[in-house]
Amino acid sequence: MESYNRDDIIFALATPWAQSALAVIRVSGEGCRQLLSTSFSRPKALLEAKNATVVHGYLTDGPKGPVLDEVVVAVYTQGHGYTAEEALEFTCHGSLPGLRRILSSFKRLGMRNAEGGEFTFRAFLHGRMDLTQAEAVQELIASQSERSQALALSRLEGSLKQQIQASKEKLLTLLAHVEVQLDYAEDEVDDFTFPRQELEEIRQALALLSSTYAVGRLYGQGARIVLAGATNVGKSTLFNLLLKQDRSIVSDIKGTTRDYIEADCLIEGIPVRLYDTAGLRESLDTIESAGIQKTEQLIGQADLVIFLVDSSEVGHIPPKDERTLIVYSKSDLFKAPEGELAISAQSGHGIRALVAEIAKRLGAGFGSTGDELVIIESERQHLLLSGAAQALGRALTLVDTDVPLDIVAVELGEAMQNLGELTGEVTPADILTKIFSGFCVGK
Amino acid sequence: MDYDAIVVGGGHAGIEACLALARIGYKTLLITQNLDSIGRLSCNPAIGGLSKGNIVREVDALGGEMAHLIDHSMIQYRILNRRRGPAVQAPRAQADKFTYARLAKETLEAQAKLALFMDTVVDILLDKEGKRIIGVKTERGHSISARVVVLTTGTFMDGRIFIGEYDAPHGRLDEPAAIGLGDALRKKGFPLGRMKTGTPARVRSSSLDFSKMEIQDGDPILMPFSFDYDSVERPMLPCHITWTNAKTHKIIQKNIHRSPLYGGKIVGLGPRYCPSIEDKVVRFPERDHHQIFVEPEGIGTEEMYLNGVSSSLPEDVQWDFIHSIVGLEEAEVMRPGYAVEYDYIDPLNLYPSLESMHVENLFIAGQTNGTSGYEEAACQGLLAGINAAQKLKGEKPLILARNEAYTGVLIDDLVTLGTEEPYRMFTSRAEYRLNLRHDSCDQRLTQKGYDVGLQTEENLMRLKAKLEKIEAVKDLLGKRRYGQKSAVEALKMPEVTMEHLQEVISELSEFEEPIRYQVELEVKYAGYINRQDRQISRFEKLESLEIPLDFDYDALDGLSTESREKLKKIRPHSVGQATRISGVRNGDIAILIVHVDKGGRNA
Repeated sequence: MESYNRDDIIFALATPWAQSALAVIRVSGEGCRQLLSTSFSRPKALLEAKNATVVHGYLTDGPKGPVLDEVVVAVYTQGHGYTAEEALEFTCHGSLPGLRRILSSFKRLGMRNAEGGEFTFRAFLHGRMDLTQAEAVQELIASQSERSQALALSRLEGSLKQQIQASKEKLLTLLAHVEVQLDYAEDEVDDFTFPRQELEEIRQALALLSSTYAVGRLYGQGARIVLAGATNVGKSTLFNLLLKQDRSIVSDIKGTTRDYIEADCLIEGIPVRLYDTAGLRESLDTIESAGIQKTEQLIGQADLVIFLVDSSEVGHIPPKDERTLIVYSKSDLFKAPEGELAISAQSGHGIRALVAEIAKRLGAGFGSTGDELVIIESERQHLLLSGAAQALGRALTLVDTDVPLDIVAVELGEAMQNLGELTGEVTPADILTKIFSGFCVGK
Repeated sequence: MDYDAIVVGGGHAGIEACLALARIGYKTLLITQNLDSIGRLSCNPAIGGLSKGNIVREVDALGGEMAHLIDHSMIQYRILNRRRGPAVQAPRAQADKFTYARLAKETLEAQAKLALFMDTVVDILLDKEGKRIIGVKTERGHSISARVVVLTTGTFMDGRIFIGEYDAPHGRLDEPAAIGLGDALRKKGFPLGRMKTGTPARVRSSSLDFSKMEIQDGDPILMPFSFDYDSVERPMLPCHITWTNAKTHKIIQKNIHRSPLYGGKIVGLGPRYCPSIEDKVVRFPERDHHQIFVEPEGIGTEEMYLNGVSSSLPEDVQWDFIHSIVGLEEAEVMRPGYAVEYDYIDPLNLYPSLESMHVENLFIAGQTNGTSGYEEAACQGLLAGINAAQKLKGEKPLILARNEAYTGVLIDDLVTLGTEEPYRMFTSRAEYRLNLRHDSCDQRLTQKGYDVGLQTEENLMRLKAKLEKIEAVKDLLGKRRYGQKSAVEALKMPEVTMEHLQEVISELSEFEEPIRYQVELEVKYAGYINRQDRQISRFEKLESLEIPLDFDYDALDGLSTESREKLKKIRPHSVGQATRISGVRNGDIAILIVHVDKGGRNA
């Protein structure tokens, strides 16, 4: 935090650095409007524009310089917009040479290239968003697929917040039932049976929310799929087929892919990082055996391993499990065993079935409830939620073994604190208010 | 200067404040409206209870007086909530209220350097700039000067009692309120408000039919509140329990319009946790009975306290509903219940030392700060007295942390969050209650009491001996076996208690019960105690980031306007306290951390 300077004007390309129809450049900081009006064809219109309005005009390369691009500028005055600072958003044409010219012209005007996350930091500093929101924004920027963007947006609108809030509310009520027993003497309050069933329900709801983290990570960061198998079994061919582009070296020579090659692609809308690995074979070649070690490491970290087996010379086959797909290659030349996945990298036969199987595996266990499910994407949120669920699990065990209530309350309190960190703190005063409104207490 | 210190008010806060100042060595004057009212138990004749019993023992560990007073005036002793667990059980004692008050006065009279004077303070005297207190003015025209003043006015500052249509300027029934001080303070710019509390009727014991009631005896074993001695001998009396019924509720409902609370005569907010019987009947209409504890007010009196039916309904209504209760059909009402409304000063105006931000060298404690309860008053009085003495010495105030004492929780809550209703302590107000157990108050606080000049060398040695015995018991349990396991391991199992171990390991009986008790807790709940200790070490990080009192929030860029205003008003002494101010945002705390980390000055 301390490395960011907070009072200069920063700018950055807000859309990806890629050829596209339109691109957005964001500028934030006190005085940015005044400064940029000197390089704008309609300075008066820009200076007088109200908050959250757009101005059409031409960007010039410095005062009275040549025209750089025709743009639409969205204007935010102080206290508004994403950072709550005076800010401008230029929508311009998305040609890379054109963007490069604009950005270097901005730099010459005396503005600074924003560091990663700096806009979000400024927004946070100005109290524009809480931590959950700030994280959601960060993920929104980093997210790769359309579905992921929709998820990040829905979190900003608070559907995650609502679900956690609902569990928190239930836990608060339960906690009030417990705390009233601890705040008053046994002869002052009614007899008490621990609401075990309610506690179990809250625990389950939280555990379910927390389990969606795996899905969230898949959509946010992409799944790791490792292509493995003996050398010369056709891994690189399949790799290219999945990528639908020539990124790897395809040849008949074994062990060409000495280390590994990786590339990003979408499989059925799921972002995937695909790894083409060195063949698993004992090798005297030191470079190659280093590559094999690397392969084993990659397999260990993979979400899914596609193990290719040559239909003609079946050698070692690893055991199938939920993380390992066995696929028989060269099915155009030799017949694969009945009922097994088989592909022909040459003809493309079986690829469609493989792609469907990959998508099924990656989404396994989550697909059915997919659309209504709120998905957790950040590590922090996942840890807090699973921590809360675990604390409630421990509380249940304590209740079942007749451990005193004030010890049980420690676990309930920990769960409550975790939820509080996600959506806003629960103070002792909140619990007391709940007690006084719901119980007839006091001598 | 006439005195080093003046303490205004002889209630539970005033007693602790003046004793602390005099014991530390300052020439102190206690001014009270009535010398015969020192240490009165105005409401229920009992001391202690959940979290309150802990406070009494905290006061004792620091070198205060309350535990001694109750130990030598109690007529019943109980440990509450034994079955609910180690963190929430606490001692409570019924007091002989006359003995209690007499002991209090005798203790003050016996104290060197302490003078007592009967008069009513009507104004405070300030220096030329109006920034610092230099003395007080009394009703009979005395101007008495002092370097520090502790204000503990209880319910007497512009107090007014209500019984149905009747009201009178009293602080307690038939005891005149201190009129004028509230207005004088208002004129000087203090933020005053009104609060309300109430008390039930007292009935004559010989007119009650106890055979129709449930009897409630105390514990057979009596343990002192104070850590200074191991046992006390006192006579024991039982309490009795009866219940209101449909008829009682009907009488109250029919006459509710005659209550000064519902008629709008009382503006001050009463405590939600201790509602009057009319409040209970209105707010919980589905309940067909409410519990009443019939508690003796002392040995030499027939007055019985009807705990559970505090009321400000007209006397004829009180008579009627009391007579509708089983066992009380023929009750002779000796004093009516009543509500009292009084001035309090917004505690947000205090530093955590309990010194006023508004006027230097003025310390405020007890009900004047918006609290309720004898114990809550006593611990504030003690800390106000200690910190007034620290101020006189030119030393840093004693500020107890939330993980050290309920007293620390109470004061931190008051000065950080303020209070809308009379503030009473609850165990749930404390984040680390496993750490705030009553049995270990001396371990947390005796040294601190010694450091400020209140505790004795002798008590430090007692503490040292206690710690050695605890270690000895732990050693013994480590060496001996119980069943298949070492005794320590066995004790960790829920079903094994220290009593079980005692049957096998006879040497355990050589140690006092409190020692065995503490080892049992520490062993049984070690996992939870360690976990809480880890949480505490995280908590202490923010607490240790101190913010200078003159910190310039205006010069801090990036703070939200709301947070800036709140921080300027509360002036937290640490980042930890700042995090507890309602409405101060996380982002602003982050900025604060960045800046105070750089040596506590604005960057």
